[in-house]
Amino acid sequence: MKRIITLNVNEKEYEVAVAPNRTLAQVLREDLNLLGTKIGCDMGDCGACTVILDDRPVNSCLVLAVQANERKITTIEGVADGPHLHPVQQAFVEHGAIQCGFCSPGMILSAKSLLEKNSKPTEYEIREALSGNLCRCTGYQKIVEAVKAASQTMKK
Amino acid sequence: MHLLPKFDFYEAYDMGEACKVLAEMKSEGKIIAGGTDIMVNMKKGLLSPKCLISLARIPGLSGIEPTSGGIAIGSNLIVSKLLEFDLIRKKYNLLSKAASVLGSPLIRNRATIGGNIVTARPAADLPPPLMAMGARVVLKSKGKERELALDDFLVGPGQTKIKSTEILVSIIVDEPPPFTGGDYIKLMHRNALEIAIVAVAVQITLDGPDGSIKNARVILSSVAPKAIHAVSAEKVLIGEKPTEKLFKKAAALASTDCTPITDIRGGAQYRCAMVETLTHRALSAALRQIKGK
Repeated sequence: MKRIITLNVNEKEYEVAVAPNRTLAQVLREDLNLLGTKIGCDMGDCGACTVILDDRPVNSCLVLAVQANERKITTIEGVADGPHLHPVQQAFVEHGAIQCGFCSPGMILSAKSLLEKNSKPTEYEIREALSGNLCRCTGYQKIVEAVKAASQTMKK
Repeated sequence: MHLLPKFDFYEAYDMGEACKVLAEMKSEGKIIAGGTDIMVNMKKGLLSPKCLISLARIPGLSGIEPTSGGIAIGSNLIVSKLLEFDLIRKKYNLLSKAASVLGSPLIRNRATIGGNIVTARPAADLPPPLMAMGARVVLKSKGKERELALDDFLVGPGQTKIKSTEILVSIIVDEPPPFTGGDYIKLMHRNALEIAIVAVAVQITLDGPDGSIKNARVILSSVAPKAIHAVSAEKVLIGEKPTEKLFKKAAALASTDCTPITDIRGGAQYRCAMVETLTHRALSAALRQIKGK
């Protein structure tokens, strides 16, 4: 049976009727049309579906939409400030950290959440924070460089 | 995309309610905590419960409470929060070391300590350090509560002593006595999202700063159907002075205590050799911790 749930996504409230067996990733994409959240492995291994749920990045393919009822969610669509990219997004563009782009939303959300908790991470801490997000294009180097650069800009 | 089978979802607001619903469901209801294991199994078609009962909104299940001789950890506490407690990092560092290598940061933000125990995977990260610290689990069902040593609770792959009407509510860990040290070492092909090839957890207690070994627990993981005690290694350690020679002897004995299989992660012979190496390293690290080095 469907239930009515309230999701606070990117500071906007949505009321949706969902069946219990639908994941948060599915509801974000299919009901709210927020297609920035990608579904890769759908098993919690690749991190393409990363969203921030109550201040922590999680695999939205392993969260039931009903579990996210009345909780706060940030997706990649909620990261930029209008036309102005978030410093992490800007750094990804400038450092060539985006190739095919499929992992980028998840990478950016994991990086953003790291920098909010730790404004001066070491390279090891960056690599650890991104270790649940897989990228098959870049070899990670440019992504790590982008996060380092973003931590510099955000400090200023 | 992997679709989940159909099920009912019940969100309990207190423990009594959760136990009542679980009992009414007979064995057709399943508890969902973090969901990082059960949802994968449901997506793979391995499990299809009629109803999932969520523990997320039950107060008091996601914290750490002091007890007379240690702490009680709520079963719904997520692994990343476990890492954020100063108390755990300082006094129960064996546990925080294991928590820091579980899954990935994203998984650690959902996976719970209770889930990591109840799912009873032979390579689970939290049971070995908890067994090395002599942890006990508290199981609740409608109107009943019982306590069981974690050693006895785990039975085999995916199997525990939990009844279909019981819920794991907390994990009780005694504070390590003075002159105690421990370590958890997990051997992996890569550093994240990886299941152990072999893991070893050790805790030893001396009877004085330069004394003999009063108590020793050596736990081997991923080398048997469940995490096991290296019984002959423990036997040879207790009552002796902690020397390099003794640790070598215990490590060699530990490799005879396990019964690993050959699979994609490693061969049985390699795993036995690694049990010896890791047991020696973990014992040495435990002693260094006691000596404050």
